[in-house]
Order: sequence, then structure tokens, then C-alpha cells
Amino acid sequence: MASESRRDLILAAMIRVVGSKGYKETSVADVIEETPTSRTTFYKYFDDKHDCFLAAYEMLVEQVFAEVVANCDGNQPWLERVETGLSTIVKLFALDPTLARTAVVEVAAAGADARQLHWNAVSRFTAYLEDGRELSGGRELPENISLMSAGAVSGLIFDELLAGRGAQLQAMLPDLLFAMLVPYIGPRAAAEEMRRVAATR
Amino acid sequence: MIARSQRERLLEATVRVVAAKGYGATTVADLTREAGISRTTFYAMYEDKEACFLAAYDNVAEALVKRVAAAYEAEERWPDRARAGLAALLEALAEEPEIARLALVDVGAAGPAAQRRYRAALQRLTPLFDEGRDFAPGGRALPANTSRMAIGAVAGLIADELAEGREEYLTRLLSDLLFATLVPYIGPAAAAREVGGNE
Repeated sequence: MASESRRDLILAAMIRVVGSKGYKETSVADVIEETPTSRTTFYKYFDDKHDCFLAAYEMLVEQVFAEVVANCDGNQPWLERVETGLSTIVKLFALDPTLARTAVVEVAAAGADARQLHWNAVSRFTAYLEDGRELSGGRELPENISLMSAGAVSGLIFDELLAGRGAQLQAMLPDLLFAMLVPYIGPRAAAEEMRRVAATR
Repeated sequence: MIARSQRERLLEATVRVVAAKGYGATTVADLTREAGISRTTFYAMYEDKEACFLAAYDNVAEALVKRVAAAYEAEERWPDRARAGLAALLEALAEEPEIARLALVDVGAAGPAAQRRYRAALQRLTPLFDEGRDFAPGGRALPANTSRMAIGAVAGLIADELAEGREEYLTRLLSDLLFATLVPYIGPAAAAREVGGNE
């Protein structure tokens, strides 16, 4: 087996195990058990559980990001792009609530480095929201507006995952879209988008 | 019977120790030493470190929620109430940045039960936000989750600032937090007016 793929198998196992057992309760032995590799192989690639988790988290973010980019068409109007991006993530999370738990909930238990990775990922996504400023009709919007938008959305997703409702996350999509759009276009227009998305589902 | 003061002392000590050492590195021995109580007394009150931490966390959250609610109630118009509540929250967090970081950032390290307490504490603020429904034209037609969204935006902005170690700038967040609170109910134009109007 090529070494790259062995490393990837360990990373994928880390994401699964942490998502189902929780970061604190996960041991290196739990992760190895999920792969056709040995302890020696694990420590060849990683210093410890935390080191491996950080690498796994980076891989997870790249996977989610690649999926979003693959679905988004840069020529779409902003509203449609935001909707596509959000629904891609929500769908991915709903299909794999274990991955979602690792991505959103358990990352908070893995220390400051991991939280930093999480924030970096959120910032990468929110960078796409910045174009929405153009829709505000030249009004001065707060500098932090994309963070507000992301905070509102990730808070809702966090609550749903924590309550074990990850598989039903898609039902939340209209509300999540409202939360994401409302700082830019206001409640009336955001509610219209919300109803439109709800009707097409 | 365990004296009430012993319990209070322990819970206060728990907040101090966990804020300083981090949840993972804290031991029951650290807590009993800091509180000046015996191991036996500790285990008469709490099953383990986690149970003790959760009780301490609830205390902190309760105090914060009460302080916010009191400031909020002192005003009349909903946007003014929201501004006063947020200002009180920022003030309380800035006074004790270590406790603030514990309450909003490091709580994640204490596991899912603690995270649930954190989210539950945030949800206790829901009624304050949802008064925006009565204030805003058409507010009743807004999604049921509107208050949770606004709370998420506010908590996210504060946690970001704390995680970056910028607690000295917390009070400067007031304008952004007020905008984030008002915007789902009254829209960006009116929210910006409210934020700018009273400064």
C-alpha cells in the first residue's frame, strides 16, 4: 500500500472515530483499530492523537471546500452562489452527521490549534459572502458582517448536531439561508428567498 | 449537612482554576486545595470533576444572564433594550476576561455536557431577542429560529474576539453586536440607523 494512502486512511478513521466517540474519549488505539495499519505506522506519520487530529481536520476542510467549489459556478449571481454553497455543506453534513460532528462540534474540544483551523475554515467560506455588500445599495455595512452571518448559521448547525439531529439538517436549509442573507438584504427579501427554497424542495 | 458557603467557595474556586489551567489539566485535588475543603467534602457534593464544573458553569451563566436581563429591562424601546443588554454583557465579560473565555471558548474542552449547558444558557436569552418580533413591522412572519440566529451571530463575534485574546477590545464590539441583533428583525438600513443614531 502506498504510504500516502495509508496516511489518508488513518486521517479518515480519525474523523470517523472522533465524530462518533468524541475527541476526548478517542484514543490512538481506537483510530488504529479502524485501519489496516499498526501503531508503528501511526507514529511514523504523527506525533500523537492531537497532531493526527489537526491533519485530519485540514483534510476534512479541503474535502468540504472542494465539494463546494465543484458545485458553485462563479458566474452565478451572488444569491444563487450563496444558496448553492450553503446547501452543498448542509447536504454533506446531513449525509454524514459523524463527519459534521467532528467538523463543527468536536473541534471545539481539541484545543486552541484546532479552533484556529476551524476559524480559518469559516473565514474561507465567509470570504465568498463579501460580494453581498454590493446588494446593500451602497449602504455602509459593518466590517464584521460576514462573521455575523457565519456565526448565525454555524450556531444553528451546532445546536442541531449537538441535539443529534444531524440527519435532519436539510430541513433547516431555508432557515439557514435566511440567517445567511438577512444582514445583507434584510428580513423581507431574505424571507422571500427562504420561501422560494422551501417551495423547491 | 454541607455548608452553603463551602459549596459556593468550591464553585468559585472551580471557575478560577479551570480558567487558569484549562479544563483538561485541572484535577479534583486542585479544586479542593483552592477551595480549602477536604476530598471527602468534595465527593459529598459532586460525583466528579465534570459534575462540579457543570455546576460552576451554571452559576457563571446564571449571573451573566441575570445581569443582561436587568440592564435590558431598564429600557423601554426594544432597540434600546437590546443595546443596554449587550452593553451589560460586554462589560461583565471585560471585567473578568478569564471567566469570559471559560464561558464562551474553553467550555468546548469540557465535553458535550458542558457544551449543552453553554447552548442552553444562550437560549435563555431568546425571549429578549424575540421581542424584536413585536417591534418590527411584519416581525411575526419571521422564521421561528430568528432569535437563535441573532444569538449565534452575537456569540460568534464575542467568542472570536476572546479566542484571539483581544478582550481589551470587547466593549468596542457593541455596535457590531447591536447590528447583528437588530438586523434579522428590522433589516440592515434600520439596524445601521439604530447603531449610528445613539452613538
